[in-house]
Amino acid sequence: MYIALLLMLAGIIAGRICRRHVSHRILAPLIFCSILFLLFLLGAQIGVNERLFANLPSLGGDAMILMALCVAGSIAAVKVIMSLAGSAQDKNER
Amino acid sequence: MRDSLWILGFFVAGIFLARKEAVPATLESPEASLYALWLFMILAGISIGADKKLVSILKSLSFRTLLLPVATTAGTFAGAAVAALFVALSLPECLAVGAGFGYYSLSSIFITQYRGPELGTIALATNILRELFTLLLAPLLVRFLGPQYAISCGGCTTMDTTLPVITRCAGQEWLFPAIIHAMILDLSVPFWVTLFCSL
Repeated sequence: MYIALLLMLAGIIAGRICRRHVSHRILAPLIFCSILFLLFLLGAQIGVNERLFANLPSLGGDAMILMALCVAGSIAAVKVIMSLAGSAQDKNER
Repeated sequence: MRDSLWILGFFVAGIFLARKEAVPATLESPEASLYALWLFMILAGISIGADKKLVSILKSLSFRTLLLPVATTAGTFAGAAVAALFVALSLPECLAVGAGFGYYSLSSIFITQYRGPELGTIALATNILRELFTLLLAPLLVRFLGPQYAISCGGCTTMDTTLPVITRCAGQEWLFPAIIHAMILDLSVPFWVTLFCSL
């Protein structure tokens, strides 16, 4: 499982060393094509799986609940952390 | 937004062609997506490493700038943990999906690889919905709550797709915090997703 992370780290080091020779004009479309290919494969895996294909509407419902709660959690956390940081700054200024 | 439509189009095309049995069996094997994922991770790593602005951005980080991605991470995980009470997924699965922070391509690919296409599909839909929600509601979030809330809501997308709408509503002074916020979250996605998938 950690092979992918290690490959990314190796890529970061290689990119840092060869940064003068790396062209983002070539790299960006390559990355985008690999994303498209991987998502095509994800779609194909769903398409061949009858049970998964039949469950798509309920998966969408789960996704909606997860998104709503993750966003609500983010908003609440910003409120709490910013007010804590604000009160800490006020104390320092006094 | 055009890129998102391409991504959605390829995902739907994969489903459609597989239903019509027009996808070669070798592409449906787990090995095919594993090797494609490894190639993607190397390319993504080179792209990050070769970014000439990376070092200067990392050097300019202040404590206050770091608070926003910390808040987004903590809040997203708290929300995902609450969601585990309402959906038919385990707590680590909900946390793995939430850890995409809107980066639907990477998170869904990772999760599909390690937890199967069912959770990968939920991750794709959840994180696309997060981006759509931010694109549509950023003006209201900025107006009624503040720019930080819109940035936090956007997660990883605040340095690309949702950046224009956020800076248009909040002002150019929020450009830098939005980019830093997304960069930090972006880098953390593979770590968090792998961690929660291994639990």
